[in-house]
Amino acid sequence: MSTSSASEPDPAVADKTISDEQVVGPSSAPDDVLRVEHIAKSFGPTTALRDVNLHLRKGEVLGLLGDNGAGKSTLIKILSGFQKQDTGEMWIKGEPYAPKSVDEARSHGIDTVFQDLALVDQLTVFQNLFLQRERVHKPIPFLANALMRRDARRALDEIGIDIPSIDVPVARLSGGQRQAIAVARTISGDADIILLDEPLAAMGAKEGAMILDLIQRLREEGNVSIIMILHNYVHVFAACDRVSLIQDGVIALDKPTAETSVEELTEIVVEEYRRARLEAQVGVGSPAGNGASADAVPSADAVSSADASHSADASSGSDPGSAPGPPAG
Amino acid sequence: MLKRFLTLREGSIVVVTLITLIYFASSTPHFFTSANFKTLLPYFAPIAIMAAGEVFVMTLGEIDLSIGAMYLFTPFLYYKLDQAGLPIVPALIISLLVAMALGAFNGFAVAYIGIASFVATLGMLFVLDGVTLVISHSEQVTTPGTSVVGSTTFSQIFGGGTYSELIWAIVIVIALQVLLSFTRWGIYTVASGGNRLGASEAGINTKLVVVRNFTLCAVTAGFVGMLEAVRSSSASPDPSGSNAILFEAVSAVIIGGTLMTGGAGTVVGALIGALFLGILNDGLVIKGVNANYLDLYLGIAILIAMTVNVYVQRVRTGSGRGG
Repeated sequence: MSTSSASEPDPAVADKTISDEQVVGPSSAPDDVLRVEHIAKSFGPTTALRDVNLHLRKGEVLGLLGDNGAGKSTLIKILSGFQKQDTGEMWIKGEPYAPKSVDEARSHGIDTVFQDLALVDQLTVFQNLFLQRERVHKPIPFLANALMRRDARRALDEIGIDIPSIDVPVARLSGGQRQAIAVARTISGDADIILLDEPLAAMGAKEGAMILDLIQRLREEGNVSIIMILHNYVHVFAACDRVSLIQDGVIALDKPTAETSVEELTEIVVEEYRRARLEAQVGVGSPAGNGASADAVPSADAVSSADASHSADASSGSDPGSAPGPPAG
Repeated sequence: MLKRFLTLREGSIVVVTLITLIYFASSTPHFFTSANFKTLLPYFAPIAIMAAGEVFVMTLGEIDLSIGAMYLFTPFLYYKLDQAGLPIVPALIISLLVAMALGAFNGFAVAYIGIASFVATLGMLFVLDGVTLVISHSEQVTTPGTSVVGSTTFSQIFGGGTYSELIWAIVIVIALQVLLSFTRWGIYTVASGGNRLGASEAGINTKLVVVRNFTLCAVTAGFVGMLEAVRSSSASPDPSGSNAILFEAVSAVIIGGTLMTGGAGTVVGALIGALFLGILNDGLVIKGVNANYLDLYLGIAILIAMTVNVYVQRVRTGSGRGG
């Protein structure tokens, strides 16, 4: 399915060199469930996202990588309706998409597992599972607790998550179990686009494998499309069809996982650190500001599309243009 | 078994209240009499209703300090509306609607403007105390619809009847406990108090939750003000008295097992907390304890109850330290 895009060239890289006139890359297709163009977002003086273009195909699992503060979580929060972008547009299945709230996003079929999980410690497992989508009786809207308990148990069993009791407050559960509940809450809904902000954070290998299995199963079923923020490259190659890397508020790389490698991704990040260190050394005297930062990005793209020999040049310090780039927003 | 019972949120205060009850019943022959029961009622029924509303605000992790002032102000508004020629029932309804609007403003100040609830409602406290003093010219008034001799149906229903306040307290406490435990309103209140950001990420409109709980809290306080004004057939513009009631209501909420940090609350617990305070007050008076000792004992009782609650909370959540 989505790996069909493997045969296409990588316009993400090519487009960046045409500066402003970027299109979504790899070129968007009719079966895109989500398209995002020219998204920018600032928080006061801090620019989190400068110009993000992204698309997601039906049934695809897209891994989102990037340094701390690169803008990954901000992007997820905009997609999920929790925050509003300053500029840029989004479409779901071809329809304009401008959610005013998480609720509205959910009604469009987008649901999110936030980094902080959005669990309420004092509420029980089943209450958290149904938070904001409680089942109620009619005509008097009392909570249908028996029904929710039963459905919660069934949903957790289906997913294969081992939770001792659905009646304990989630404060009593382990980090992995809490994460599993947050994920279960999202996938047991009606969403066909699921956003996961670091679903494997704070999780042991065994619990992480459980979540990855779950995502693998969803991927095989092909009904939902997933964007997830990850840090571990092994997880990216295990779980994702495609990988996008955010640097300095733009997508610096966008490739099917089949066409890239741990080495290539590592090289980009190593290069980023190299630049950051260079900046620190060149330090105060060099011109800094937004104009300079624009130069920094194509240089990152150049690295991503080139082989290791190029980055050897960069390491020799022959790339002053990129040096004054600001630290990642 | 005892531990299991104690882990019920209301468990500890039920035990403490029973012990207090047994102590007074065995040490003073006049305690278990119907006459004493009737003197006990006005001690605790109004506090229980006000505490029931405050439970919702404190479950949010906020506090409403203006309920005493709301209690003071509403009967004077009612009196003024009556003076302006309105029949008593519409005057009562409008007074309560104004109390709701003022409560909604409290909630708005907290949720949308971002003022800490302690400060916002402290401001409201002084504003309402001040307005009451201004419109009453610091003079006591006779509550319209009541009379010192004989009684009307209106006064019988709204506080004048012997058991009127008790019945209102029980009905309101049950209704609000159901609201807290078995409806979306309640679960959103707990969620917003436990994890405000998480609740909003889950899609709950937490600002609206804040506003409507402050509204609820204000209307219960205004209603109690009406009940008490009708029961005593007069209203006195005495801010120190009404603010003493504020502290008793907040004490009842805390003693009853509601956490000040938010995320957990119980209306029934607040009722029992109010009952505990009533029994303690009444019992100490009957025993002939020097009135100067009342506050001292009350303070000690609150500290003990809070210590127990912190322990109970640890057992409940299994967390290492406090709630």
